Amino acid sequence: MMSWRMLVSRLAPLLACLGLLGIWQVGALILDTDSFPTAIDALRAVPSILTDKESLINILASLRRMAIGFGVGVALSIPLGLMMGRSRAVASFFNPLLMITYPVPKAALMPIIMLWLGVGDLAKTLVIFLGVSLPVVFHSFQGARAVEEKMLWSGAAMGLSAGQRMLRIVLPSALPEILIGCRTGLVLALITMITSEMIARQSGAGNILFNALDMGQYDTVFAMIIIVGAMGIGLDAAFEQLRKRLVRWSEPRFDLPLSFS
Amino acid sequence: MIEIDGVSQVFQTSGRQNHLALSNISLTIQDGAFVSILGPSGCGKSTLLYIVGGFVTPSQGVARVKGKAITGPGPDRGPVFQEFALFPWKSVLGNVMYGPRQQGVSSAEAEAQSRQLIEMVGLKGFEHFYPKELSGGMKQRVALARTLAYHPAVLLMDEPFGALDAHTRTRLQNDLLNIWERDRKTVLFVTHSVEEAVFLSDKVVVMTRSPGRIKRIIDIDLPRPRRRAELLLDPHYQKYVVDIEGMIDDTSEDELQP
Repeated sequence: MMSWRMLVSRLAPLLACLGLLGIWQVGALILDTDSFPTAIDALRAVPSILTDKESLINILASLRRMAIGFGVGVALSIPLGLMMGRSRAVASFFNPLLMITYPVPKAALMPIIMLWLGVGDLAKTLVIFLGVSLPVVFHSFQGARAVEEKMLWSGAAMGLSAGQRMLRIVLPSALPEILIGCRTGLVLALITMITSEMIARQSGAGNILFNALDMGQYDTVFAMIIIVGAMGIGLDAAFEQLRKRLVRWSEPRFDLPLSFS
Repeated sequence: MIEIDGVSQVFQTSGRQNHLALSNISLTIQDGAFVSILGPSGCGKSTLLYIVGGFVTPSQGVARVKGKAITGPGPDRGPVFQEFALFPWKSVLGNVMYGPRQQGVSSAEAEAQSRQLIEMVGLKGFEHFYPKELSGGMKQRVALARTLAYHPAVLLMDEPFGALDAHTRTRLQNDLLNIWERDRKTVLFVTHSVEEAVFLSDKVVVMTRSPGRIKRIIDIDLPRPRRRAELLLDPHYQKYVVDIEGMIDDTSEDELQP
């Protein structure tokens, strides 16, 4: 039989969501303004967005840009980060560059990129790519730098060439750290996806959201926020499942500390 | 045969000063000999091992194996490190199979050989465990099996039992001797334990502290196969230990002089 405590810990995320919606509902009823619809009104608007063909095309276009930006970003950033981690020359060349670009909000580059590349897919995908790249490069760099020298020596003694050591020792041993970077990158991809569409309105989930805002359709605005939030939770949870599967060998067993049991 | 010929090693410290770690070391190790390098920490004994492994290039002099100058690591010289250096993403079996697979041995054959080696080091039943699930002593057993798996002619052991508790250490010493007495590989064994060096070796090389020089080379003339219980009571063994400990004490006093 499942104990009461286990039941609570299983249901905790659900209870948190319901609690949040409850506070929203009560708050909206008390404030009673047009720009803050009740949770029930917002939730009611969700199905109408998801069944509208036009909206679905917009949302799918957003997700496509995000997938491309994320995919290309990860594919280029991991090798760069790993090389930086294992070569002092590469690191000292790229490090200053990354230090300069790290604190710049990538969406702030959007107007300039729009000037160069127009308001189409390319500009938005590029901004997502930039948002994803930095955390992935940074974590790959840290992961590669921490690889134990003796592990590489053991590989060299077995006859692994420098390239093979990179691919078959540095990459797997840095993988837990790389995947932490990818998880951050995934969330950043979602954020930059929406903000890029806020600046260059033409299509996408952000486009629906801000058009609705302009037209004062506040229940649609909040419904879109719920949809984007749900997408974030879903993507993150899916990625976390993948991550756990890939690096099961490195995870310490999750035992609750005595004080909590 | 391993020949170390006039090898010196200079390291640059963080203060841009040159630190002489090894000074003019010459040493010849015969095939099939078990040779220990003994010295206080910081005497460069591990560096000497890394030079033979090809992991470190000496500043001066040359090291040769079978008459050929060492230019890099190779499967003829298998290292076993104090830090184990296992591949944590591979199971015990995956770790042991790694070398043979790299050498082009077929998967089935590599697995059969590896299972045999895992049994030999006393880890039968742990084939599918990951390194994080093993104790220190078990990890070092895996590391030894992983190195033996690609049949190096020379074993390079860098304080392999230094991180283990006394009990585990004794058991691994016994097991290492048993394994070694079967196939008599050349072993270069770095340690700072006098008892360990005398118990295991044919020859003990005593080094001085910084800069590392060879102080004395002592032949350990004790019968094999060696049994720990007999050896501990053997006055010859006791005399070797006391004599060599005396030499180490001397080097510590040297160090106090400016």
